[in-house]
Amino acid sequence: MRTKKFVYHLIALFTVAATLLTACGGGGGGANTNFDWSTAKSATDGGGMDALIAAAKAEGTLTTIALPHDWCNYGEAIETFKTKYGLQVNELNPDAGSGDEIEAVKANKENKGPNAPDVIDVGFGFGPQLVEEGITFPYKVSTWDTIPADVKHPEGYWFGDYYGVLGFEVATDFVENVPQTWADLLKPEYKGKVALAGDPRTSNQAIQAVNAAALANGGSFEDPTPGLEFFKKLNEAGNFVPVIAKAATIASGETPIVIRWDYLALTDRDTFAGNPNIEFVIPSDGTPVAGVYLQGISAYAPQPAAARLWQEFLYSDEGQLLWLKGYCHPIRYNDLVARNVIPADMAAKLPPAEAYAKAVFPTLDQLSTSKTIITENWDSVVGADVK
Amino acid sequence: MKKNVFWNWFWIFISLVYFFIPLYATFNFSLKARKGELSLLAYQQMMEDPRILRSLIFSTEIGLLTILLGLLLMVPTVYLVRLKAPRLRPVIEFISLLPFVIPAIVLVFGLIRTYSGGLLPLTNNYTGLNFLLIAGYVVIGLPYLYRSVDAGMSAIDVVTLTEAAQSLGASWPTIMLRVIIPNLRSAMLGAAFLTLAIVLGEFTLATFLVGLKAFGPVIWQVGQNRAYEASALVIVSFIITWVLMGLINFVGRRGAADGSVAAGPR
Amino acid sequence: MSNNARVVASGGSRPKPPSIRKSPPSFAWLGVLPFLVFVVLFLFLPSLSLFVGGFQDAKGNFTLENIRGLFTPFILNAYWVTIKISFTTAVMGGIVGFFLAYALVAGGVPNWVRSSLMTFCGVASNFAGVPLAQAFIFTLGRVGLLTVFLKEALNIDLYGQGFNLYSFWGLSVTYLYFQLPLMVLIITPPIEGLRREWREAAENLGATPSQYWWHIGIPVLMPSLLGSMILLFGNAFGAYATALSLTGGLINLVTILIGSQIKGDVLHNPNLGYALAFGMVVVMAVIMSIYYALRRRSEYWLKQ
Repeated sequence: MRTKKFVYHLIALFTVAATLLTACGGGGGGANTNFDWSTAKSATDGGGMDALIAAAKAEGTLTTIALPHDWCNYGEAIETFKTKYGLQVNELNPDAGSGDEIEAVKANKENKGPNAPDVIDVGFGFGPQLVEEGITFPYKVSTWDTIPADVKHPEGYWFGDYYGVLGFEVATDFVENVPQTWADLLKPEYKGKVALAGDPRTSNQAIQAVNAAALANGGSFEDPTPGLEFFKKLNEAGNFVPVIAKAATIASGETPIVIRWDYLALTDRDTFAGNPNIEFVIPSDGTPVAGVYLQGISAYAPQPAAARLWQEFLYSDEGQLLWLKGYCHPIRYNDLVARNVIPADMAAKLPPAEAYAKAVFPTLDQLSTSKTIITENWDSVVGADVK
Repeated sequence: MKKNVFWNWFWIFISLVYFFIPLYATFNFSLKARKGELSLLAYQQMMEDPRILRSLIFSTEIGLLTILLGLLLMVPTVYLVRLKAPRLRPVIEFISLLPFVIPAIVLVFGLIRTYSGGLLPLTNNYTGLNFLLIAGYVVIGLPYLYRSVDAGMSAIDVVTLTEAAQSLGASWPTIMLRVIIPNLRSAMLGAAFLTLAIVLGEFTLATFLVGLKAFGPVIWQVGQNRAYEASALVIVSFIITWVLMGLINFVGRRGAADGSVAAGPR
Repeated sequence: MSNNARVVASGGSRPKPPSIRKSPPSFAWLGVLPFLVFVVLFLFLPSLSLFVGGFQDAKGNFTLENIRGLFTPFILNAYWVTIKISFTTAVMGGIVGFFLAYALVAGGVPNWVRSSLMTFCGVASNFAGVPLAQAFIFTLGRVGLLTVFLKEALNIDLYGQGFNLYSFWGLSVTYLYFQLPLMVLIITPPIEGLRREWREAAENLGATPSQYWWHIGIPVLMPSLLGSMILLFGNAFGAYATALSLTGGLINLVTILIGSQIKGDVLHNPNLGYALAFGMVVVMAVIMSIYYALRRRSEYWLKQ
């Protein structure tokens, strides 16, 4: 099972490390403390997992950014990491958007203090920028091969970490008949009830919502205008509430139907604990749109070993399952399923797997095209004419 | 006279209604944490979070230091400009309004970039970061600090007072401490209130410089998923800020009893 | 201004004393130096990226493209709406704030009421962003407390009549929550400075309350009134979180545009964001010039 494979890996690494060290004439197996981990492109570069762990412990801290505790169960992941390796974690700015994270890395280039992030977690569309502007350093985790090829950069500048699928988060206390399709949303019974969870000109979640609506109405990523038209109809029918939905607006009934990522909706369901009751529905018309996020190690990380250890942790089975516990589908999901590693009770809490099988992952080009069209046309097509 | 008092109470009443209702609505929502009944569950849950008290204390300390630095910079400057260099006044005033048009996000990244290395590295340690935060807050509070102090000074005849004090043989420090400042009490208190309120609620600078150590980011974090707790937190922080201001007010006004030169009609 | 008023205001008939003995002008500069140094270090230097970045492209080359990009109808509309809402709430907040401040200062109101309301204003002046937006959603949203109350108790259907919190006027009413207290806090010291003797003297000379206000009260207060309103304008001009939380997605404000370029998950052209902010500085400078012209006129007679 999983333990066997891990032990196998460990033995392999020990063997490699031991061989290297004896070849160099060093002493008994242990960390090569003179190695500069900021140049490591994989754990083996620096002498294997044990060396990495020792070097990280010597550094003592990891600085993260943009990791809210309730997002993909990062809270538990961070705590587990802390106890497992005895490191401190310095959490910056949980509110940061992807743009913020990149700015933070750039602004802190010369800074080796507690304010510079070691690792980042950004939207898929930012991948190319990470390479172009030299934001991240290429690194391949030990489980690199089980990450699907279309969501990782071949050299490891960025790699997908988890994905989710868009659907409707419905507060059933305020809505009698739960809508099952995009077409349902236009019905008069949902007047003043439908909202987005972000501003379509800035939020990836909202933009993908428009894409999803487009796919359900004959459009595509290359031409999302049917999606814009859909929201225009929604607005004209009075069903669309222009406020950005948050926990409070859902709970108070102001925005009882929100188009949301599955992991956010399901986490809400748990947090609200029935007050109000939440149901999550993946609409049956159209194709579910999946959104991927990327991990990267900052090229200027003050704690390079800790940063790499964090990645190894996240991409180990343990880390991946922690994400799954937060309802985010980890990028190695198919691999975990194939090896039968997912606990049954966890699997039961997730939405049915068929929806995910159908889900479509937009490519970088598609993301870019649709984003431009939607952000430029949202105001003219849907927006209120405020003069 | 009677008619005057009626109108005064009218305006007070209308304003109270306008201010009170949204607060009540937030309070009402915070009581709904337990389904179907009104309870203080949200408040209990909120109190159990250690970050809240810690960050509140931290932000209050930062706030007090900001007020100190801000007034220290502002009062002598406004005084001197009024007295000796009235032509500088438009310049200072324009500068004081600039923070409005510089978005906090630009300011904070600018501060981080400028002080990340080179001559004056401040971002390498917590003390430096705290200092950057205070400096940033003074900048953000500049419009309010300037306007309060300037409005206060316009209400007293700075020139005559200074002359009178000088003709009695007072030195500059004496003039400042015993003539000008006592007459600015009300304006300085106003400036203190505004600054403290800004610091306690501010988010952008705090989150990039000190993260969850400050109150603003903690409020935001709580508000992301926990709807009822967030509203409870809003109400509680409102009350706490109000009490803090009451304290400043009390301490400030107590000193006013010791015969400051009468500038106002009271 | 009438001679009477001038005599009254100078508190009698004594001629003005000789002007203060002039110390060397350098002394004034020295005293202002700490302030200037501070401002250069912590305001100008960090904001330099603003001015520089507005004229650069993503690679750092000089370009006027960003500035040109400001003149699209979409962005110009954003500036217009932002100016409109800042002006509206500055005037509304200014007028109501003045009356409230006067009521508190001169209105024979018990001391504890006055103190509590003043400190309340201190708190409320910064009650903004998500909490404020949510408070108003809870009050005047579609299922808000007041909306529901009006419908059920008084049979008034706000939304049916066309009211909408998520609109320009809804946002203005929300902005007022921090504009009004700000006005009160700033204008109170000047109102306190209106000496009672002036009013009594005016009454002795036979002036009615409105004459007092027209010839003495308002003119004396005018510079402070204008100054406070420009502050309110700037306050609303730079507001971001409140608007985003309440009407994000529908109303077009410059600050929201800037945020979307610099912070956004999707759009990421910080240089355009910097150019937008630069534009805001320019607008502010223009408004300030108008304000100065007005204020110089009003301050004329105060210079004795």
